[in-house]
Amino acid sequence: MLFRRIYQFLIVYIIGIGFLLAIKAVLSLSDYVIPGIPLVIETAGQVFTGYFFDVMNTLSVTVLGQGISIIMAFTVGIAGRKSSWIGSFIKVTAYNIQAYPIVALAPIIFILLGDGFIPRLMIASMICYFPLLLSVLGIMATPVTDIEHFYIVTGRMRWQLEVKIRAFENLSKLTTVIAGSATLAMAGTIVAEFIAANAGIGYSIRIALYQSDLAKILIALFMIGIIISIYQGILETLGEVIKVKWSISKKGEVL
Amino acid sequence: MRKRTVISLIFLLVLMSATSLQAKDVQLNYRLKWLFNSSVAGDIYADVNGYFKAAGLSVTVKEGSPEKNAINELELRHADFGVASADQVIRALDKGAKIVVLAQLFQVNPMQWIYRADQPEIKTLQDLKGRNIGITFGGNDETVMNTILAKAGISKKEVTITGVRFDFTPFFMRKVDVWPVYRNSQGVILKDKLAKEGEAVYFFNPADFGVNFVANSVITSEVMLKNKPAVVETFLGALLKGWEAAMDPANEADVLNAVKRLDTSTHDAIMQQQLAATRDLIKPSPSIPIGTIDMAAWQQTEQIMLKEKQIKKPVHIETRLSRLVQK
Repeated sequence: MLFRRIYQFLIVYIIGIGFLLAIKAVLSLSDYVIPGIPLVIETAGQVFTGYFFDVMNTLSVTVLGQGISIIMAFTVGIAGRKSSWIGSFIKVTAYNIQAYPIVALAPIIFILLGDGFIPRLMIASMICYFPLLLSVLGIMATPVTDIEHFYIVTGRMRWQLEVKIRAFENLSKLTTVIAGSATLAMAGTIVAEFIAANAGIGYSIRIALYQSDLAKILIALFMIGIIISIYQGILETLGEVIKVKWSISKKGEVL
Repeated sequence: MRKRTVISLIFLLVLMSATSLQAKDVQLNYRLKWLFNSSVAGDIYADVNGYFKAAGLSVTVKEGSPEKNAINELELRHADFGVASADQVIRALDKGAKIVVLAQLFQVNPMQWIYRADQPEIKTLQDLKGRNIGITFGGNDETVMNTILAKAGISKKEVTITGVRFDFTPFFMRKVDVWPVYRNSQGVILKDKLAKEGEAVYFFNPADFGVNFVANSVITSEVMLKNKPAVVETFLGALLKGWEAAMDPANEADVLNAVKRLDTSTHDAIMQQQLAATRDLIKPSPSIPIGTIDMAAWQQTEQIMLKEKQIKKPVHIETRLSRLVQK
C-alpha cells in the first residue's frame, strides 16, 4: 500500500512536470518562468537537504495537529450525536466556527499568538478538523439498529457502548477518513507557515516565491508529495492493523 | 419604412467609422507591480488623463500584486509593458529572460527602515550595532541589509535580526527596533499612527550610506523593442509625460482624484502624504527627468546580487538598459 502510494504520486508529479515543460517548449519560455530540467536538478542539489528538514518540521506539526483535530472531532461528534437541544447546539456552533475562512482568521491568530509553533498547530488542526467532524457526526448519529436494539431492550445500553458499536461497525470508513485528513492537516500547516511563520516548508515556499524561483517550488512540492504519501501509507497500514486486531479481540470476522 | 431604412444605414455608417477610428489605436497591456495607490500615481494619471489616448494608444493598465509578475506576463504575451523591480529584472536575465529596461521610475528606492525618534539617530552604519533589525527573509530588504552590514563590517552577532511579515505588532510593541517599510506607503501609515500616539520617527535610507539598490522600472520584451520600436517610444513618451504631470505639485488635486477612483480604502490625508512621499522618490530633483536610468546604481545592484549569490553569473545589466532616458 505504501509503495503503491509513492509510485502513484510519482506518476502524477511526472505528468505535471511534463505538462509544464510542454508549455515551456511551445511558448519558448525562459527558465525564469518555467525552469528546465537541468536547472531543477541543480536547484535540487542546493536545497534538497534543507527542504527535507523543512518538510519534516512541517510534518511534525501536521501529525500533532491531526491528533488534536481527531480528538476534537470525536469529542464534538460524540457530544453532538444526539438529536437533543444540546446536541444540535454543539453541531451549530461547530459549523459556524468553520464557516469563517481560515485565511481570514489566521492573521488574527498570528497577531495574538505571534508566529511560533502554537499558531501553526492551531491552524493545521482547524483545517483538518471539520471534514473529520462531519464524518464522525455522520457515523455517530446513525444507529446500528440490529445490534443496538438488543442492548436497548435488555436495558444494558450506555453511551460508551453506543459509541463503541457505531465506531466498530464503521471502522473502515473512519480509518479512510483519518488517513485522508492527513493531507488536510499538512495543507493547513503549510498555509499557516506560508502566511506567517518562520519555519517549515510553507515558509520556504514563501521565500522562493519572493524570489520568483519556480525550481525551488517544484522541489518543495516533490518533497511534500513524497512525505505525505509515506505518512498516509503508514496511516492506512495502521488502520488495517487496528481493524484486524480489533476483530480478533472481539472474536469477529476481519472487516 | 424607407425613411427608417435610411436612418438605420446612416447610424450603421457612423458606427462603422467610429469603430475604424478606434481600431487605429494600438492596443497594449501594461502590468503594474503593485496595487493601485499613490505609488503608481503617474501610471494612473497617464491613463485617466488621456496621455496614452493622445499618443494613439489604447492601454489597459492592470493592477499588480505580490502574486503577479510582469516579466512572466511579458514572456507569456499577456502584457506588452510592465513594471518590475531591479532584482526581478536581474534574476530573470540570469535565467535567460529576454527583457529590456526602458525607464527607471524610482530614483530613490522606497524600501527603507523606520525607527522611533526616541532611539539614537543612525548617523553612521556603526549605529546599527546592538539594534533589533527586522528583515523579510527572501525579500529585497534582506539582500540590502546583508550588504549594509557587510559594508560596515558588522557581524550578525552584533545585531539581532528578526524575520518580519505584514503584521506591525512587533514594531508597535518595541520588540523590533528598526522595521522595513516602503517609505511612500507603509512608511506614511506607520508614521501617522505613531504620531497619533505622540511618537516621532526616523527613516533609515540605505542610499544615504552608499547602498543604491534600484527599485521599480518600466520593462518590455526584446521582441517588442526590436519589432515595434516606434510603439515602444510612443508608449514610453506618453507614460513619462503622465508621470511628469502627476508629480507636478500644481496637479496634486487632479492626481489625488484620479488615484481615489481606484484606491477607495485609503483616507484622503494619508493619500496626500503618500503622494508627497512618492514625489520625493520619483523626482528627487527638478533637474532629473522622470524615468532616468541610473547606470551606476544598476551596476551596484547587480554586484550586490552577485555577492549575495542571488544570481550565478554577471548579467551585464548595462547591455539591457535602454538608452532612451539615461543619466
